[in-house]
Amino acid sequence: MKKLLIYLSAVFMFLFLAACTATDDPEGEAEPEEQETEKTFAEEEENETTEEETALGENVLRLNNGTEPASLDPSIGFDAVSWDPLNNLMEGLTRLDQEHLAGPGAAESWDVSDDGLTYTFHLRENANWSNGDPVVAADFEYAWKYMLNPETASPAAFLGYFIEGAESYNSGEGSEDDVNVTAVDEKTLEVVLEQPTGFFLDLLTNPAFFPINHKIAEADPNWHAEAETFVGNGPFTLEEWKHDEEMLFAKNEHYWDADAVKLNNIHFAMVNDTNTQYQMFEAGELDTASIPPELSDQLIDGDNVFIGPYGGLEFFRFNVEMEPFQNKKIRQAFSYAINRADIAEFVVKTGVEPAYGFINPGYTSPTGEDFRDVNGELVTFDPDQARQLLEEGMAEEGYEELPEITLSYNTSDTNKAVAEALHGMFNEHLGVEVTLENQEWNVFAEAQQALELQLSRSSFINDYNDPVNFLESFITDSYMNRTGFSSPEYDELIAKGKSEVDEEKRWEYLYEAEKMLADEMIAAPLRYYNTVVLEADGVEGILRHPVGYFDLKYAEKK
Amino acid sequence: MFKYILKKLLMMLFTLWIIITLTFVLMLSVPGSPFNSESSSNEIVQQNLEKHYNLDQPIAVQYVLYLKSIITLEFGPSIKQPNQTVNDLLGRGFPISAELGLVTIIVALISGIAIGILAALRHNRIIDYIAMGIAVLGISIPNFILATLLIQQLAVNWSIFPVATWQGPLYMVLPVLALATGPMAIIARLTRSTMLEVLTQDYIKMAKAKGLAPWKIIVKHALRNALMPVITIMGTLLVGIMTGSFVIEQIFAIPGMGKYFVESINHRDFPVIMGTTVFYSSFLIIMLFLVDIAYGIIDPRIKVNKKEGEE
Repeated sequence: MKKLLIYLSAVFMFLFLAACTATDDPEGEAEPEEQETEKTFAEEEENETTEEETALGENVLRLNNGTEPASLDPSIGFDAVSWDPLNNLMEGLTRLDQEHLAGPGAAESWDVSDDGLTYTFHLRENANWSNGDPVVAADFEYAWKYMLNPETASPAAFLGYFIEGAESYNSGEGSEDDVNVTAVDEKTLEVVLEQPTGFFLDLLTNPAFFPINHKIAEADPNWHAEAETFVGNGPFTLEEWKHDEEMLFAKNEHYWDADAVKLNNIHFAMVNDTNTQYQMFEAGELDTASIPPELSDQLIDGDNVFIGPYGGLEFFRFNVEMEPFQNKKIRQAFSYAINRADIAEFVVKTGVEPAYGFINPGYTSPTGEDFRDVNGELVTFDPDQARQLLEEGMAEEGYEELPEITLSYNTSDTNKAVAEALHGMFNEHLGVEVTLENQEWNVFAEAQQALELQLSRSSFINDYNDPVNFLESFITDSYMNRTGFSSPEYDELIAKGKSEVDEEKRWEYLYEAEKMLADEMIAAPLRYYNTVVLEADGVEGILRHPVGYFDLKYAEKK
Repeated sequence: MFKYILKKLLMMLFTLWIIITLTFVLMLSVPGSPFNSESSSNEIVQQNLEKHYNLDQPIAVQYVLYLKSIITLEFGPSIKQPNQTVNDLLGRGFPISAELGLVTIIVALISGIAIGILAALRHNRIIDYIAMGIAVLGISIPNFILATLLIQQLAVNWSIFPVATWQGPLYMVLPVLALATGPMAIIARLTRSTMLEVLTQDYIKMAKAKGLAPWKIIVKHALRNALMPVITIMGTLLVGIMTGSFVIEQIFAIPGMGKYFVESINHRDFPVIMGTTVFYSSFLIIMLFLVDIAYGIIDPRIKVNKKEGEE
């Protein structure tokens, strides 16, 4: 017995000491170690392919979805973790192409009436569901009306309000029949819009507008909850779905463009820890990974790093109903005092771009230019002007001393670092001491919505590929406004920026609107979001669209 | 005995009701709604969502609905993952957390008791110091740090074990090590101190005098008494570990139930908050009850009825 005990504790001691040696590894050793890892990585890769060849077949891409998708019901899953899988399991009438523009998807072609109101979509003859059923116009009609049904409580429903009758149906006033979507015949879908909407085709790439196989859904409303019952019309099928654990996709042989699909299988892990998923990548268990913030400086310049734009903006909202931000010049002063380049490069890191406007680069105008290039740098860093504007603003308001200002943000390490940097900049360039305050996300969101915060951190992630998506937030009484800003002039610019039939003119209104937003300085942009991904050797062709979700249709693993 | 159990059961139900009510009140008094997210939205959508989950009802009605869902044990769909009911989530997560937890406890118990006995037998000698050194480290190193170290060394650098996810016994080794170290250290220290006390007792001297084999004295006479405090903490420890650890499950991407305790509150996912609370508290109450019974079995001096009087 004694011997056994000694043996047991010896084993444990060994394990423990092994763990302890890991602590002693100094930073400097990192490099040779890395090489070693690469070696084992390659070795393991070999082992694993042989192992997995039997299990999964060749050409398996191993990705991480982070968490369980909220839902694979296209009307309900309204977040990135649902969109990424959905965009590869299903397809809307249009699909974002390699240039990130809306191209033909399940619809082969479409006609738009001269007044820009009526869209007639012609579905592909060979568009099929993964169970072999043809994709018919009625599937779209069913899906959209289901999304707009108030009882469905779809968080994406507001995206459908461009369709005639949609808003009143969703608000519970109108009826389903008022929604002007009609399946004319098996393969023709007619949609009448509330008003001309130049970006309607872009909108349709959002998973909220994906079709639902109405025969399946009518028989089993929970068709989307398990892999066995899931029916899609995209490049891949859902082979296996262990909730909270993993998903396995396989190439969809019924997909109309199946020849273009190169991968046989995609395996999604659900690892919600940045360090772990990076370590899995290092150990060769994942083909792509994000960069943990602490390792950003070391890894960001590597050859295997993909950096691309991501449709989103981090900014700070001024509450124009609270002192001292009712004054435009004071708002402008604060914006001029922000050194955005420093924040992007030294605080947020991971290769993000400073934002000198509200709309991130990546939106191509009808004349082929980038929105950002046309409107240029609207907000800049200029300490002298900042100080002068602050003085003028204070004089206008008759302030001897600036009222106390609290800068609020939702609790997170990055947000804290940004807030502290801003604190320093306001202090240095304006001589203003702001108080920093952080709140748990939900508490924060509620307070911001109720206009209880003076100067608060915000972010915006685009839902669809058009500048109006962001700009629209600041119209009077919009749910997304959260600043108290109200200007009839701005409202009108946005109204025209949505409904103008002439695309070039429509963009002119949007340029105007952004300039006005910058001049009024309702919100101070800080930086654009980006996508930074480590990709293993041989991984190619993953389309990462600036708006929303990635597309694995053309992805390969060599 | 029967009367005692019945009385205890009623007390348990009452305690549970208080916990449920308190949770309900706290839950609704925290600002924020389950539908705040970074994505866009508008009022109509928010209203539809609130209506869908009965959050537009008066509080009294919501309370009754909650009580009803608890009595029928149908907690309804999660708000964050609408396709999944709370029963699905817990039904899937708990077996995984419980499996991991049980293995952890077994490892912690065996190694903890072994180290404790060893230290006690070699009191104030080098083995004692080493064992207690390990125990102090085990208590003071947080398990998430240990977890990260284990992954980096054993999985990434040495490629002995997989980094994370949950696909078989091999995947269990690192999380078990990370989870077991803390409880092991606590058990080792407890065992050592009570062992030391027990070993000086007259009946041990008596046993030695009788000429019993040393291992028989330790296992049959000393250990049995030395284990009492370990059993006392076992109830809480078991519940805590078997319902999953948020941090360890996140680090090792284990699909257990640990995350729901934290995430449900972050997301204001009311049905999940209620579900986890009811589950955890009933589990804890039952375990504590079993511990009470176990005392009586291990130590015949403690009679369940008498013990009740002492309380």
